[in-house]
Amino acid sequence: MKDLKHLIYFENLLQDAHNELVAQAVKEGDYALGYNCYYIPEVLLNLPGCFSSRLRAPRCTSTDVASYYMTNRTCPYARSLLERAIEGGYNYLNALFGAECCATMERMEEHFFLINPVKNEKFFVTQIDPPMKGDKTSLDYYKAQLKLKVVDKLHEEYGIDTSENAMRRAIADHNEISRIVTEIGNFRKADNPCITGYEFHVIQLVSQVCPHRLIKPYLEETLEELKTREPEAKFPFRARLVLVGSEIDDPEFTKLIESCGAMVVADRYCFGSFPSREQIEIREGETAFEAICRHYLHWNQCARFMDGMKIDQRHSEVKKLVDEFKADGVIYENMKFCEFWSYEKVLAHHIFANELGIPTCTIEKEYALGAVGQLRTRFQAFIESLEIKQIQGGK
Amino acid sequence: MKAMDKLIAGIDKKLERFDPIWQAEHGVGGQRSRYYDKTGVAKWREWRGVKDTLYDYTQWLNNLSSMVQMVASAPVACLKGFWEYRWMGSYLGTFMFIDRLFEGFRGYELRTAHANMHAIVRSLTKRIALVLSNDKRLGGGPRSDDFIPFDEVLPPLFLTGFKGLIPFPLQTLPEFIICDVDQHIEPYYIDVAESYGLPADVCSRCAAETGVAIDDAFPIIGKAFLTTNMPCNASECTSMIQRRRVALPDFPVTLAMIHNEPGAHPYSTQMLKDAIAFIEKEYGVKYDWNELFKYARLMNEQNTIELEKWDYFKTPYSALVGIAETLYRLYSWASVNGTDPYFNKVDRRVIEIMRRAYEEKYQPFGGKTRHRAFLWGPSAVYYTDFPTWTQNCWGINIVLNMDSTMGHNMIDTEDPDRAIQDLALFSEKATMRHHAVGGWENVNAIWEWAKNFDCDMVLFNDNIACKGMLGVHALMEEQARELGFHFIFIEHDLEDSRTVSRQDMRNCVNNYMSVVLNEKPLDPTIVEFDDSMAY
Repeated sequence: MKDLKHLIYFENLLQDAHNELVAQAVKEGDYALGYNCYYIPEVLLNLPGCFSSRLRAPRCTSTDVASYYMTNRTCPYARSLLERAIEGGYNYLNALFGAECCATMERMEEHFFLINPVKNEKFFVTQIDPPMKGDKTSLDYYKAQLKLKVVDKLHEEYGIDTSENAMRRAIADHNEISRIVTEIGNFRKADNPCITGYEFHVIQLVSQVCPHRLIKPYLEETLEELKTREPEAKFPFRARLVLVGSEIDDPEFTKLIESCGAMVVADRYCFGSFPSREQIEIREGETAFEAICRHYLHWNQCARFMDGMKIDQRHSEVKKLVDEFKADGVIYENMKFCEFWSYEKVLAHHIFANELGIPTCTIEKEYALGAVGQLRTRFQAFIESLEIKQIQGGK
Repeated sequence: MKAMDKLIAGIDKKLERFDPIWQAEHGVGGQRSRYYDKTGVAKWREWRGVKDTLYDYTQWLNNLSSMVQMVASAPVACLKGFWEYRWMGSYLGTFMFIDRLFEGFRGYELRTAHANMHAIVRSLTKRIALVLSNDKRLGGGPRSDDFIPFDEVLPPLFLTGFKGLIPFPLQTLPEFIICDVDQHIEPYYIDVAESYGLPADVCSRCAAETGVAIDDAFPIIGKAFLTTNMPCNASECTSMIQRRRVALPDFPVTLAMIHNEPGAHPYSTQMLKDAIAFIEKEYGVKYDWNELFKYARLMNEQNTIELEKWDYFKTPYSALVGIAETLYRLYSWASVNGTDPYFNKVDRRVIEIMRRAYEEKYQPFGGKTRHRAFLWGPSAVYYTDFPTWTQNCWGINIVLNMDSTMGHNMIDTEDPDRAIQDLALFSEKATMRHHAVGGWENVNAIWEWAKNFDCDMVLFNDNIACKGMLGVHALMEEQARELGFHFIFIEHDLEDSRTVSRQDMRNCVNNYMSVVLNEKPLDPTIVEFDDSMAY
């Protein structure tokens, strides 16, 4: 296929958290608001006058200082963020909106106010206590937490307009970006898609780490380009996969899977588009803020949800992706030392492989892709088994 | 009487060479001398002087009588239980376990220790008999459906409002208690979970619970199951596996994680109300607030006594020390939680002894304590007698354990609305929950606790898989230096003694005491020894 016009530009934007679009927005007076979990609604951080910056630590190869603080037996994603903060990589941030989504993440966020690695005068940190169920009691608590620790803080600290109108505007902008990314992602449903999983991963990531108003023109242009892009003459992959898991913010990981012969047709992981690019709908009688809370609690498919309804939902959503994107199998990933995804991986493998009959491969990985030989072997073997299944007519 | 005392003193003097403490002082032996190598099997009982040895032995018989009563009350069920459940066999190690816990205990500290321990044995044996006779896996019984199985770290006091139902911590028998007794039982269940694909770096306690579930080693009781998000991530995760295996309608009681703020309590209160509504629906019963108040009064009395105990802990004259305090508070709070009046009786008896000891300016362990330590962080349950060892070997008296600081607020016993709010606060401060997770202030509270209890040392349990505690490693060490506490990380793997052995744990202390503080052990026979084959 012909290269996408902006792909190299997008790839460059992913080389640094403080990329050129972030720098431009900060220079123009917008507040940069960091977050690291879906529990913090991206849309709330994109109220007029500020922009969201989902934290990554690209090109992080060593976490020596963070390991001193948090030992080397904790999640490498969390440690990498702390390391990057200590290196000064997040000095552009005006705030970090954290969530007690897991113990390690919480500890990492605490270091942001205990050792003050971010050198920015008015920088502050808040941490919400995110609920673990999808019921009404949990929704009420979620609303109260977001109001107290995100909305009110933004207004108090930076005078951000958090009125109904401002929220409605933020929702409209968010829906627009989401529509563009979803339309781009839907090309992956084709039998012979005009986009690869890697390319989509890059696009989805830039939509999360760059100011929306600045990245949007590039995304729109890319969407137009894709409408007329010619796919390869023949589908170049031997299988189609849904990738499920935790914090996968390195497109090289998707590239690794695709280099083994399977296209990643759907991305259901923390930095993926499922969930994150659904349309936020304001129902009758709801305020914009209520709609946001309901939307994010409903779509959140974190492995920490404990009630049967949410557990079933996260499996049925993956099954839906398998069907919609015509996938042959699923890869479940967990970050090393991540307890939630370690357990979810075990449970999901049982459900998908034994109960739903969907071939499933589970793997564990580090944050930084270093020695990938073992992973490559696992992927190759899995893809080969899928091929054999195809040859044998699915038996 | 005086003549009798004189006679006893004479015998004691004559036989003092058999006393391991005397032996250690005189360089002719010590606590470890009477054991077969590598095991927990002693060649003879510890000689503690006439009075204490006799007292210790009668308490041994007292515990034996509880065991006999258990088997006599449900002989067939107990036999079936031994046949069905691997963990049942480990309870045979209880006697060795208790002997090990109270090595070196004399006088008042021996009396409080046995009073507390017998309460646990009595309660546990009754529970085993009750649950096995109604376990549907073993054929069921008349009360099988009256049980409310709930997650062991959910404080059950609020469930006492269901008159006629039996709140039962599901994991207590196969996992929570038995791993204290036998260091070799949980690795089997951990292996079951890992053979199913669970990584080895998750908390071993939760891995063991997962293994128990997969191995179908939980009793089958009740009509609905209450899980919880307490205390931490791994517990939440294992609940998700357990709910599938237990296969009953379930309700996760998810209390606020960051609970030190006003917004948290209304949420936790509502969550308890939701849980009550769930049980009412599943069991077709009505909640009885007066019944709750009855048990809340018992809990309040226990907590009132506990707070008085704390005053004595702050002095050198506390007759309740080390593991005798820790294990009892853990069991009586987390597992009994006001549901058994016998624990109130024991508390009344123990506080009387403590008052007397304080008036007499009685110092436990013959006044040989060199350091007063606060034990913080989740303890290694495969080394329950660790506090006993620290005292006997290095003179480090663990005056209080993190778990003992669990919910000690009083529960209103007149107004349902206030009672449920109090219960929410009480429940949020449950086992490990209030310390290891939920915000920096919780873990950082240790320094204030240590200062208040006049400790010069903090022993920090470093569970190698506890993400909540690992995340504050360096900050804790820096704080200790800044505040001038002796600070030792005790590395362990909670329920898997294969990863970090008991000797590895001892070495953490040995190294600090000998290299940093340059001290000599009180009993050289227990500095380094192999107990890898012991229960």
